[in-house]
Amino acid sequence: MTTFHEPRFVGARVARVEDPRFLTGQGRYVSNQVVAGMRHARFVRSPFAHARIVSVDTSAVPSGVAVFTGEDWASYAIECTSRYEGFQSAAMPVLAVGKVRYVGEPVAMVVADDPYEAEDAAELILIDYDPLEPVTSIEQALSEGAPLIHEHWTSNLYVPRAYTSPDYDEKVREATRTVSGRFVNSRHSGVPMEGRAVLAEVVDGEIVVRTATQIPHLIRTAIANALGISENSVRVISPDVGGGFGVKAQAYPEEVACALAARSLGAPVKWIEDRREHFLASHHSRQHVHDATLHFDDEGRIRALTAAVYVDMGAYSVFPWTSTMDTGMAMGILPGPYRFTGYKVNGFPTCTNKTPYGAYRGVSRPAACFTIERLVDWMARDRGIDRLEARRRNLVRKDDYPWTNAGGLVYDGGSLEESIDVMREWIGYDDLVQRLAEERRRGRLVGLGMAIFTEQSAHTTEEFKKRGVPIVFGYETATLRLDSTGNLTIATSIHNHGQGLETTLAQFAGEVLGIPLERIKVVFGDTNQVAYGAGTFASRSAVLAGGAARLAATDLREKLARVAAHLLEVSEADLVFHEEGVSVVGSPESTISMAELCRIIYQRPDLLPEGVTPTLEATRTYDAPPGTGTYTNAFHVGTVEVDEHTGVVNITGYWVVEDCGVMINPLVVEGQIHGGVAQGIGSALFEEMVYDEDGQLLTTTFMDYLLPTALDVPHIATRHLETPSPNTIGGIKGMGEGGAIAPAAVIAGAVEDALSEIGPVWISEVPLTPERVLRYIRQAKENR
Amino acid sequence: MKEVAAESRTEITLTVNGVAHTVQVSPRRLLADVLRDDIGLKGTNLGCEHGYCGACTVLVDGETVRSCLTLAVAVDGADITTVEGLSGSDELNDLQRAFQEAHALQCGFCTPGFLITATELLDSTEGPLTEQQIREAIAGNICRCTGYVHIVEAIRRVSEARAG
Ligand code: FES
Ligand code: FES
Repeated sequence: MTTFHEPRFVGARVARVEDPRFLTGQGRYVSNQVVAGMRHARFVRSPFAHARIVSVDTSAVPSGVAVFTGEDWASYAIECTSRYEGFQSAAMPVLAVGKVRYVGEPVAMVVADDPYEAEDAAELILIDYDPLEPVTSIEQALSEGAPLIHEHWTSNLYVPRAYTSPDYDEKVREATRTVSGRFVNSRHSGVPMEGRAVLAEVVDGEIVVRTATQIPHLIRTAIANALGISENSVRVISPDVGGGFGVKAQAYPEEVACALAARSLGAPVKWIEDRREHFLASHHSRQHVHDATLHFDDEGRIRALTAAVYVDMGAYSVFPWTSTMDTGMAMGILPGPYRFTGYKVNGFPTCTNKTPYGAYRGVSRPAACFTIERLVDWMARDRGIDRLEARRRNLVRKDDYPWTNAGGLVYDGGSLEESIDVMREWIGYDDLVQRLAEERRRGRLVGLGMAIFTEQSAHTTEEFKKRGVPIVFGYETATLRLDSTGNLTIATSIHNHGQGLETTLAQFAGEVLGIPLERIKVVFGDTNQVAYGAGTFASRSAVLAGGAARLAATDLREKLARVAAHLLEVSEADLVFHEEGVSVVGSPESTISMAELCRIIYQRPDLLPEGVTPTLEATRTYDAPPGTGTYTNAFHVGTVEVDEHTGVVNITGYWVVEDCGVMINPLVVEGQIHGGVAQGIGSALFEEMVYDEDGQLLTTTFMDYLLPTALDVPHIATRHLETPSPNTIGGIKGMGEGGAIAPAAVIAGAVEDALSEIGPVWISEVPLTPERVLRYIRQAKENR
Repeated sequence: MKEVAAESRTEITLTVNGVAHTVQVSPRRLLADVLRDDIGLKGTNLGCEHGYCGACTVLVDGETVRSCLTLAVAVDGADITTVEGLSGSDELNDLQRAFQEAHALQCGFCTPGFLITATELLDSTEGPLTEQQIREAIAGNICRCTGYVHIVEAIRRVSEARAG
């Protein structure tokens, strides 16, 4: 007989348990769900960016098709007001009332028996608009005498923000040189392959809303608040979701509208967003303009950073983030992984006649990384030092941790310098740089770029308190239940929509009990089945739900140990938990299977020790103290070749050295990095919501708004370092967003390098579409 | 108020995953909707409905077709394979298994389209396939989650295994 050991599931590269249902076409997406008597909704959307609604004529709509307009639901809205003093609030109507504020805003809703009929009927509604001057840029919005988008406001600024470090003036004086620029990131968004989808019905007096969301409980709160009803009369179910990336981390008017329509018609109402609607009305993100100056000394040591952060937040404040999230986050993380302290920053979250602005993987960090990394590249050029060396000189060092960055964020630990050393050696950096320089001299436009960053993850109470959001996202909860056959159910308040959490949470919590993956079920996404919690965003789920699940597993283990020790007549300290059950150390013949142990606890109370209750359920919450987040770090390097005549950028190599603490499942970690990098490549080269001066969105199909394909994304090579977080359970860190943070900075640096033989150029705008690249090539020639 | 005229309907027969289905459809009805809503096979997903993302790809008489751009009446009598028909039994076939083992899917929404495209590629091209061949073949399918690295890897593994 073999001796049993406690198994180690954490760190195992195991395939995901959730895959078979997707591989066989059994995904439980909202669009796949059918209920009896289901009717179909279609929204009529504003064709104007800014206009008064003069009249809505629904008389041509055939009988049998229900119609709702703004007036019907004027008393309902989605409101999200910041706690920041002076915040100008902008409640989002369910259907526009009196005025429209962006192209795509829902104005009316029809409900028919068939989706084709609903589309036909929507065409028959005639709306008369009186167009107003649209506000389509940050400059225009903030200029003197600009039209007010919300008449009760005093300007188009949601709320001004500012921060200056106490040593700012002194540090600026210590500097001898500066580089400056205006850094522009385009408006774009997560664009998941599944659009939004809602199916609402009333069942036994409860409004059941199935919706493709990352944040089921918060959507329940938003709907209950909007309708002015109790939360326990609303049930939100978010089954399988075909990608979120932040787009599905906001409450939307369509969710409230479907709930209202189902209630008023007494019939289930389904709405499936089409791709054009997705571009028009699913929340956008990423659009930042930073005016920034880096102050440094002759040796290339950074002393201070001055920045103004402008974010084009669109027409309404979004729930649950408010319209200050991006600005605040950028202000905190702009200093990046560097150890300077002088910092002055102003923030301008601006209201415009554009689609509201929400989250997208990385929230502000891609823009912040772009700005600071471009500045550091320029500092290196100014000082004539290697870009890698310029970074190394300024990074937070191993013995600095915990390090409070110039923006007030507390970095818990990492391996910044090491990641640079590992990369240098791994890709043969010095040779590679030399080779590229030779190729350039022979006339090929090839270059290398790099970016290093820290990714704030799993931030909780302290961070969100600071951000002024009305709901402070502090914790997540997990309930673990063992059944009488020894199988484990983990019910958790986070959501899984591709991150692999059905597998990784099971690995992380199952390890405590020795229960293998195939005997664990993870339940999520139903407000009637899981405890209140915020959901999945901000690279938090593995840390918070994982931590909670592990704590609850430990509670269960204690109870199991007590009963097993009693039954096997040994002391609890002598027990081993493993895949076969519970054994006495060194005597494998003294083993009780998990199934037998659980069966006895539920069904043979007569055999239990004194005072042990016949239950096997534990609930724990976890908020990852100190609540300021745990910091993953990564260093990305990429190489490109630019076509001088077409301006097309081809990425020829991409390498990532990443440290996300202890990895639960390296296979899943790599998948997250690849996916993030691909999205970052979209930001770097392709993706841009283009508006004309009337506020019309011109990019509403995949022919106009390009997503990276398998020919655009290269093979992405990854290496891991593992610096356990000193703060979190198991030393793990969040990492879901990281891949998307660096690519824009990397590719811009690589293209700038590629053009260097033509002439000096300073790239400060992405995406690097062929048109922009050709413009930079012209500039390089002029600067020669 | 005016009534919407009842649309004329045509009877068509489709053999889907080996089973014949006779359905009444209006001339404008899309193949994707017939498969999903009339026949009830929900595995074929719709990501754009304008022929670009490839999520809705199915095999019609052995060739890949975008079911969001195909009128059902145009394929009357055809033999169609959807993701549900890839493996006969409850087991995964070699391609599906490779997707799981290589972690070639995250949210799973694009996956049926990739599986169908890869099925056509693997059946029609002699292997083992090069990375470039695979990338070119799947460039008409968009995945927003995986960055394609593991999808390429999964297809490469199957092509190698099948080539022996
Ligand atoms: S749904 Fe058919 S190609 Fe996108
Ligand atoms: S796995 Fe989500 S789109 Fe491909």
